[in-house]
Amino acid sequence: MWEYKKRLEYPVKIKNPNPALAKVIISQLGGPDGELGASMRYLNQRYVAPCNQVKAILSDIGTEELAHMEIVSAILYQLTKGLSIKEIKESGFDTYFVDHTTGIYPQAASGTPFSALTFQSTGDPIADLTEDLAAEQKARLTYDNILRLADDPDVRDPIKFLRAREIVHFQRFGEGLRMVQDQLDAKNFYAFNPSFDL
Amino acid sequence: MDAKNKLLNKIRQYYFSLVDANLYLDSHPTCKEGLAYFKKYKDLYEEAKEEYEKKYAPLDFLSGIKDDKWAWASEPWPWEGSEN
Repeated sequence: MWEYKKRLEYPVKIKNPNPALAKVIISQLGGPDGELGASMRYLNQRYVAPCNQVKAILSDIGTEELAHMEIVSAILYQLTKGLSIKEIKESGFDTYFVDHTTGIYPQAASGTPFSALTFQSTGDPIADLTEDLAAEQKARLTYDNILRLADDPDVRDPIKFLRAREIVHFQRFGEGLRMVQDQLDAKNFYAFNPSFDL
Repeated sequence: MDAKNKLLNKIRQYYFSLVDANLYLDSHPTCKEGLAYFKKYKDLYEEAKEEYEKKYAPLDFLSGIKDDKWAWASEPWPWEGSEN
């Protein structure tokens, strides 16, 4: 089970609202490679993982992703605080505002709502962990793109932290995949599902 | 039920009392009875958790080290049906 900790994993303190920037950063909440999808991907995949260490990696990273959702949401909240209607109109934030005001809603920058179709839980740990490695890379490059678009150091700082965590998670998933493969017959690495066929 | 699962069930009951009292206190923050109830179960919970983790296995990652080893990732997981 879970327990909420009343602190951010990494602090967010943004002095200047910037709704145009919020409109792109929201992709890391509910977009195709965002933190909500990351958390749901790992927390759903973990049940049929074939060894305890991989269960731990998926549980612990899936849990950390929930904390990352909270960091992205804190950034969005602070970037859209105290806006005038003029600022909302001029920044292009009006298309989000009309449905959600300044509430936090998981969607991609394009406006597409979060979808579980952005991730899989195949029941096959080789397929799942390979997807997880790609997912961490995709999230990392999305943060890189956000860093190209964001000048404010108050925003860049927590984004850089989140980017660094993607790299660490990629490393841990690589180790998890190796653990699963080490238990397989070397001649049959990719020929069957270790959680079902063994 | 063996001693391990009996103790785990006690922990589950104490913690559930705290979860439920938490919700109640969120909307009744000055209720003396509620505050005393919370304190009572917090003590019972912490004592039982400490006993369980000393005897058996970590219940959270902060208690992950047991006998100088990382026991968090090597124990059975709660959804496997054998309990923790």
